[in-house]
Amino acid sequence: MLQDAGPADEAPGSRTLLWVFLLLLCFGAAVGMGWLVLREIEDLGTANSDNAQWSLAQTEVEFLQFQLAIERAGEEEVSLDTLRRRFDVFYSRIGTFASASTYSAVRSSPEFIAANEEITDFLDAAVPVIDSPDAQLAAALPALSAEAQALLPQVRALSLAGLASFAESSDERREDVRRTLAQMVGVLGLLLGGFALLTNSFRRLYRVSRRQAQAMERAGDRMRAIVEAAADAILVCDRDGAILDMNTAGVRLFGYSREEGIGRRALETIYPADVAPALQEATRAFFQEDGRAGTTALHYETEAVSRSGRRFPAEVSIARTADETDPIYVAFIRDISRRKEAEEGLTEARDKALAGERAKAEFLAVMSHEMRTPLNGLMGTMQLMRDHSLSQRQSELLDRMHSSGRLLLGLVNDVLDLAKFEAGKLKAERRPFSVSALLDGVVETTATLASSNGNSLRWRPLTPGLDIVRGDSRRLRQVLLNLVGNAVKFTRAGSIDIEVERLPGEGGLVEFRVADTGIGIAEAQLERIFQDFETLDSSYSRQAGGTGLGLGIARRLVGVMGGEIGVESEPGEGSLFWVRLSLPPAEAEETPLPGQGGNATLPVRPLDVLLVEDNEMNRFVARGLLESEGHKVTEAVDGRAGVEWAESHPFDVILMDISMPVMDGQTAARKIRAGSGRSATTPIIALTAHALPEEVERFREAGMAHCLSKPIDRKVLSGLLRGIAAGYSGGSVTMAEPASGLIDRAQLGELSQTIRPADLERLLATFRAEMDEGVTRLTASDLPPAELGALAHKCAGSCATLGLTALRQLLGRVETAAKRGEVSEGDLAQLPELWAESRQALDAWQGEQALTE
Amino acid sequence: MHFHRHLIAAAVYALAALPLAAQELGTPEGDILLTIDGAITETNDDGRAVFDRAMLEALGPVTFETETTWTEGVQTFTGVELATLLEAVGATGDSIAATAINDYAVDIPREDWVEGGPIVAYLRNGEEMPVRDKGPLWVVYPFDASEDYQTEVIYSRSIWQLDRITVAE
Repeated sequence: MLQDAGPADEAPGSRTLLWVFLLLLCFGAAVGMGWLVLREIEDLGTANSDNAQWSLAQTEVEFLQFQLAIERAGEEEVSLDTLRRRFDVFYSRIGTFASASTYSAVRSSPEFIAANEEITDFLDAAVPVIDSPDAQLAAALPALSAEAQALLPQVRALSLAGLASFAESSDERREDVRRTLAQMVGVLGLLLGGFALLTNSFRRLYRVSRRQAQAMERAGDRMRAIVEAAADAILVCDRDGAILDMNTAGVRLFGYSREEGIGRRALETIYPADVAPALQEATRAFFQEDGRAGTTALHYETEAVSRSGRRFPAEVSIARTADETDPIYVAFIRDISRRKEAEEGLTEARDKALAGERAKAEFLAVMSHEMRTPLNGLMGTMQLMRDHSLSQRQSELLDRMHSSGRLLLGLVNDVLDLAKFEAGKLKAERRPFSVSALLDGVVETTATLASSNGNSLRWRPLTPGLDIVRGDSRRLRQVLLNLVGNAVKFTRAGSIDIEVERLPGEGGLVEFRVADTGIGIAEAQLERIFQDFETLDSSYSRQAGGTGLGLGIARRLVGVMGGEIGVESEPGEGSLFWVRLSLPPAEAEETPLPGQGGNATLPVRPLDVLLVEDNEMNRFVARGLLESEGHKVTEAVDGRAGVEWAESHPFDVILMDISMPVMDGQTAARKIRAGSGRSATTPIIALTAHALPEEVERFREAGMAHCLSKPIDRKVLSGLLRGIAAGYSGGSVTMAEPASGLIDRAQLGELSQTIRPADLERLLATFRAEMDEGVTRLTASDLPPAELGALAHKCAGSCATLGLTALRQLLGRVETAAKRGEVSEGDLAQLPELWAESRQALDAWQGEQALTE
Repeated sequence: MHFHRHLIAAAVYALAALPLAAQELGTPEGDILLTIDGAITETNDDGRAVFDRAMLEALGPVTFETETTWTEGVQTFTGVELATLLEAVGATGDSIAATAINDYAVDIPREDWVEGGPIVAYLRNGEEMPVRDKGPLWVVYPFDASEDYQTEVIYSRSIWQLDRITVAE
């Protein structure tokens, strides 16, 4: 507010200066005029003439007296001396006009000059006559009288001329006086005006200064009010640290009354004795900048103490300001014990919450992992049961159990996926793959379900030439399968269109769109559907099945790949899900993914197997599977036991669980490879649930060339062992799909290496058509057992060729029953579903193969 | 300056004239130039005091220079101070009525009858003044000596062709 008054202050100041200048001008004018007036007054005070007009009039009178004297002298009434005296008087009068300064103006008048000349001529002529002796004068009287009579008009004229001139000069004089007086009035007016202005100016100055004084007073009052109302203690100290003043909050906080506080040394008063010296040292620099007011304030947190000895954390902020000469320090002290407590509480709460989150994630991971182990046991045991002779009913029940087990395993894997996402363990791959092959695979995989809901399903590229790109095909497939799966689930007798388009611009963005004509999603729910555990319509979700994690996982997968996912929908008209990913074009000749190794045709020789597994159930299942193939099994219960066994005994192969107590699988594998034991070079197969690509890479580094997903699939295991037995040591980690016991990848891999791709494709197409027809006919239940058996045999043969193991087994059982003249109803009932699943698996494999070409 | 000198001169002649004042005025032998009557103590002609040129000169001449509004240039006037003259006739009144040959008349109050004040001049520039040139006597104030004498009242009291004085009762 004082700064605000500044510029306003300046303007009146300069105006005042102007006024003063004007006033000085007025004064100057007034003084000048006054001088003129005084001179005028002086002129008027000293008269420069006597009564000139009277003199003029007197001229005529004196002339008339002279004339009269002439006449009377003629009649001898008066003496000639009197006549002479009258002449002299008149003569003197006329002479006066010639010399008196009074008449200088009159003398220049032409009328006056003319008259004066004639009169003077007369006088000059008359003088000898007048001065002559009495006799002569008496004789000359008549002539003199006549001359005088003749002169009378001239005397009159002279008098009048003088009068006129004097009237004029009198007028001039009056005019001069009048003008002078008018000027004086003007100057007086100016002077008065000047005084008025000056008065006004002074009044304004007075008001301004008064306002400023009031403003300062108000500011002072306000400042006092602020200081008093402040919740913080405020101490004002001098340069020596002595307290000059303190506010009410200060009195409250420190317990000293104002009177007691003032004069004490602040440092020793408000800080504990053990804190003060260190504090003084720390703040020395600030106080040594003495005198430089307005430099940065000092802030610190410390411990303060009240009079009663209560110590508390305090936040101190010290600002410096300047008195007239000495610096003054203003300290704001705040008791922050509550804030500190709150901060600590908050930190604690946050730590707890974080710990809770971690515990939850860990719990989820551990639980799903732990759930999977017994589940694997169940699944494995069910497979072992199939080796025993079962009744048809038992076999059916076993199939149901197996199916449910797989479903349960899928759910557990979903949850584990989620836990891994939460732990941030996933990373996207970037490898070349074929977009068209991938979409073919997706369409084929979901085609059956689509058609069973009466939906048409197709995909089309909107950008020509878009095929080989670099990215994570596996995760993209998972996302697209999820989206298409949802579309198929929520659409009845409609269409599902998949479009793919390369977007213009940088970044190699590709957009995938899955559009359906299904039930759609309300706008309010569009955001929610990507949340975890979100199932919009309970009846549908029940109908469709699932944990509600599908879209949540899809969102995370897309996120891992650095892309975006979104949806547009109109309830009742359909939905459009889109995925936008950076998939830069790749060179077609880049190294393709390694194919699945193995050689199904080689006979399996008995192997000496070391099984390192801590879980008893898993050991039981694995031992059962291995021994049923004729292998010899040695068990080790943890990594260290496994290492010890490997030291002393030459095994043909080692199955190594990854997570184990005492010593985990990776460490154990490294030790085996690093040592010089008898099994130092023995192939090691990693047993793990749900291995990620980067994990597989780590296994390979640890010396484990192969990887087997749990639950262990008999076919996959035997295929792998067959390869090892044959001396096959794949250059890459062998990866097996956990849920793909349906197909024998090793066998299919063999096939793909011996047949040209085009031939294989034709073969597979023929096979599909044959199987579609075969399955339809087999389940028509109107065939006689003989024909049924023959058809089952033929189909089983095809399945065996292409490695569709599960289906082959089922068909084998149908055939066996038919040979006995029976119809295996339970097996036949399973047939369509198993065919659909097998077909999907086959399609998926084919999709992968397409990428490698 | 002039004033000062005149003052001293006036004082000297005043002292010299003092015995005369106490004595008789004397008798005129030449032409009578001035007649004084009214409230006077000294007379020489039937209750009047009459003066010829010599009598006036005997009262103690005073000379000063001054300009007048009726003449051109600085003039030298010589005459008797009015104060000396009136003292010589023992004027008791406070005012005189002075009258000229041309019948001009004016009152001159007592405060004007001071030393260094007006004189009754009989010489102008060392010469007698004829009637035809404002003579023979002219009451002249030392106009240049004081601005107080440069007023119309004083000008009106500067009577020329003076021949009679009546001292008021």
